[in-house]
Amino acid sequence: MSKTYFDETHCAIGHPKSTFMQWMLTVDHKRIGLMYAAVIFTFFFVAVAVAFTLRLELFAPGQQFLDPNTYNQVFTLHGVIMVFLFIIPGIPAVFGNIVMPLMIGAKDVSFPRLNWFTFWLYIFGALIALSSLWTGNGFADTGWTFYAPYSLNTDTNVITTLVAAFVLGMASILTGLNFIVTIHRLRAPGMDFFKMPLFVWGIYATAWIQLLATPVVGITLVLAILEKTFGIGIFDPAKGGDPILFEHLFWIYSHPAVYLMILPAFGIMSEIIPAFSRREVFGYRTIALSSAAIAGIGYLVWGHHLFTSGMSDIAKVIFSFLTFLVAIPTGIKFYDWVATMYKGKIILSVPMLWALGTMITFVIGGLTGVTIAMVGPDIHLQDTYYTVAHFHYAMLGGVVFLFFAGLHYWFPLVTGKMYPEGKAKIAFYLNFIGFNVLWFPMFIAGYQGMPRRYFDYLPEFEIYHQVAFFGAVIFISGLVYMFYVLIKAWKNGEPSGTNPWNATTLEWHLPTSPPPLENHTKVPYVDFRPYEYHHGEPVVKFDLKTMKRID
Amino acid sequence: MLTNYKTLKAGYYKVLIGLLVLTTITFVQPYMFMLDSTFGIQMLIGAVKAWIILMYYMHLKGEKLIGWTVIFAVALVVVFFAIVVVDVEHFQYKDASHITSQELDVTHTTSHEK
Amino acid sequence: MSHEYVPEIAVDRDGKEHEVQGWQGDFYGGKLGFWLFMLTEVMMFGAMFLVLTYYFSLHPADFLEASSELNVLLGGTNTVVLLISALTMGLGLLKMRNGDIAGAKLMIWATIILALLFLGIKAVEWTNEYQHGVFLGLDALQSGNEHSKPFGQILFFGMYFTMTGLHGFHIIIGIGLMLWLLKRINAGKVSTEHHILHFNIALYWDLVHLIWVFVFPYFYMIGAGDVVGGVINAH
Repeated sequence: MSKTYFDETHCAIGHPKSTFMQWMLTVDHKRIGLMYAAVIFTFFFVAVAVAFTLRLELFAPGQQFLDPNTYNQVFTLHGVIMVFLFIIPGIPAVFGNIVMPLMIGAKDVSFPRLNWFTFWLYIFGALIALSSLWTGNGFADTGWTFYAPYSLNTDTNVITTLVAAFVLGMASILTGLNFIVTIHRLRAPGMDFFKMPLFVWGIYATAWIQLLATPVVGITLVLAILEKTFGIGIFDPAKGGDPILFEHLFWIYSHPAVYLMILPAFGIMSEIIPAFSRREVFGYRTIALSSAAIAGIGYLVWGHHLFTSGMSDIAKVIFSFLTFLVAIPTGIKFYDWVATMYKGKIILSVPMLWALGTMITFVIGGLTGVTIAMVGPDIHLQDTYYTVAHFHYAMLGGVVFLFFAGLHYWFPLVTGKMYPEGKAKIAFYLNFIGFNVLWFPMFIAGYQGMPRRYFDYLPEFEIYHQVAFFGAVIFISGLVYMFYVLIKAWKNGEPSGTNPWNATTLEWHLPTSPPPLENHTKVPYVDFRPYEYHHGEPVVKFDLKTMKRID
Repeated sequence: MLTNYKTLKAGYYKVLIGLLVLTTITFVQPYMFMLDSTFGIQMLIGAVKAWIILMYYMHLKGEKLIGWTVIFAVALVVVFFAIVVVDVEHFQYKDASHITSQELDVTHTTSHEK
Repeated sequence: MSHEYVPEIAVDRDGKEHEVQGWQGDFYGGKLGFWLFMLTEVMMFGAMFLVLTYYFSLHPADFLEASSELNVLLGGTNTVVLLISALTMGLGLLKMRNGDIAGAKLMIWATIILALLFLGIKAVEWTNEYQHGVFLGLDALQSGNEHSKPFGQILFFGMYFTMTGLHGFHIIIGIGLMLWLLKRINAGKVSTEHHILHFNIALYWDLVHLIWVFVFPYFYMIGAGDVVGGVINAH
């Protein structure tokens, strides 16, 4: 009875005796999610360290210890790791895997072996990416966007990085495919789409982006590889190819990709806000459908990356207009969350703190995004630190902060242990303050004309870079401290019990914590909405042995 | 065992004949008729063939959910086409562009005639 | 993983029983998953057609000129070969569903042979083109030398080799899949009751055919014939 998923597992091939091999071959969604988490956060810290060397170099004008070419490779490395290895797989790979099947009352995802294969495909892609650090003429120096024609002409090892991005894209596609089928097929009886927890909605919308947008960039990368190897001419202006077409195709995926990152993060927010307000979420349907709307509109806005690239004026206006539309469903979500908290019994636990902090940082990130979605201001702000600050506020202050919120929220579920609340709060404040000190000055510097990706700068920008540097020090200390607290709690923490937050969704109604191998003892019949609270207490109660309602 | 094996098998052959007829039209059209719109005709025949293959060989007939996902994906491709075409059609520096201004022969005049 | 799957029953508050769908033996789930995979192929080739159409709109005359240089006879034969292979594949699946395992295997072998025939013809075609100096990496498709073709033609042939090449790659994958399918049938893992693998590989083969249905006319036929798009061909 008390065996958990740490004690036993199903394997893809045979059933090896050694624990290590059991982990390598496991098909259990929880174990796979956990392994993703380990790898993904390792890469996260590598990329943070890489970014810190950039900050060090930028502490003073002129050259310190990185030469300009190395600097280009370093920011490319930072971008490639953060985008392709960390944030795109990110929340779906970790919490989509661990939590989503639990939330819908499934025993596993629809294709457990494919899930296992996908994980190793991801590892394979990561190894290719890393191998390009030491092979060929050094790591790519193109930026993570690989813009043609420079990426076609540079003699750094772009091909290997492109292959890695392609393989990682395939892993992403297969994850999305698996999740769509899982959500369609394996929901517990009675759970229709509008009884699903909102995180599942986020994962579902994301999965569609992974599935349908990723192939476009996949083939673009293949065309770029063929261009570099055989010279097919498609993106090479010397042979009549159009580099702008590369940008079109690249952003057809890469812009929806940011919604791919944020939608599951919004899902986490939608879980945390009702659980810690002890109140049914306000406007469930609007939150759910706005996820779908963001995913849908998100396909049609890629052109706002091309305002200064030489696109036609009419296309600029269309894309600008469509981009504004994204703000509507996003705004709906924010108002719904605020309305959920109104008159709720708000408990300022660590996950809630992270969620509330994100509300501030993401609103800054989102609204500055609206300013650069306008064609006029964008001509001034494109490729400046303003844009850098914008997407770090949206990605780091939005996606990653909510990732951390989820990390604290589901930590007791995954590990069965509870972390010390006080220390985790200190970690939050360090992160939150450090983050803002790090990136807010960049808005000002960028507005005044500090260009992005420059190795050197004019003396008047020195103050912003130095403030940002101190922010970076605080932020990184916060990150390290947070993971230190969590890892220590995993080892020595107090047992958490199965439902420490008084949350309502199915993943908190498991017989043990951490969960057993095949999840719920019995699959429940779902005839209730996901967040039902009455006077601050969950309405739906289960007998965890029979999974029958006892309220 | 299938009760309607014979009917299904006959169905496969019927579809084959249909596709062969369409393919024949594909072959002869550029030499025989509507020579001014070969591209349009060819793509139209392609679309009809694709529809037949989807419906009968790939058993899409009666598949509600899968049918909608296919429609969604194809619609997305169409939208990508539409947007890129709008952009290309309205590009205001066509004449100054290296990749479009090089050819001073037939291409140049035809693309401006319409 | 080898344990027998027994469908679970969930009971609601009125005592009514509801069968729980597990991931094991989920035929519809397998089908849905494979369709979703095929949608990614649609997006991939859709993006390539987008590239192709974009350059066609820039260089219509060059495209027609280049298209007329392709060998319609070989390409057309391949079209018919694929058409028949789609039939054999479909019949194989039908026989499998009808319990005729031997017949199904025969049909899969027929499909493999047709696929190899397709690749063979493709190889002849590419060799011919290579001998005429039109191939990736040769002077004609590079810029700035005396053999250089005009932009439109370089792009046409670049996309021609890319797209038919990737299509051929799919054919090779398809052959591999069919050989694997035969192995699974021989091992008794694919049977009349449990034929999702066969079903999905048949779907895959139809998709490969489907892509060719557009690739063929777009490359071979648009410039065939004497008078096209209002432009008289050079020869």
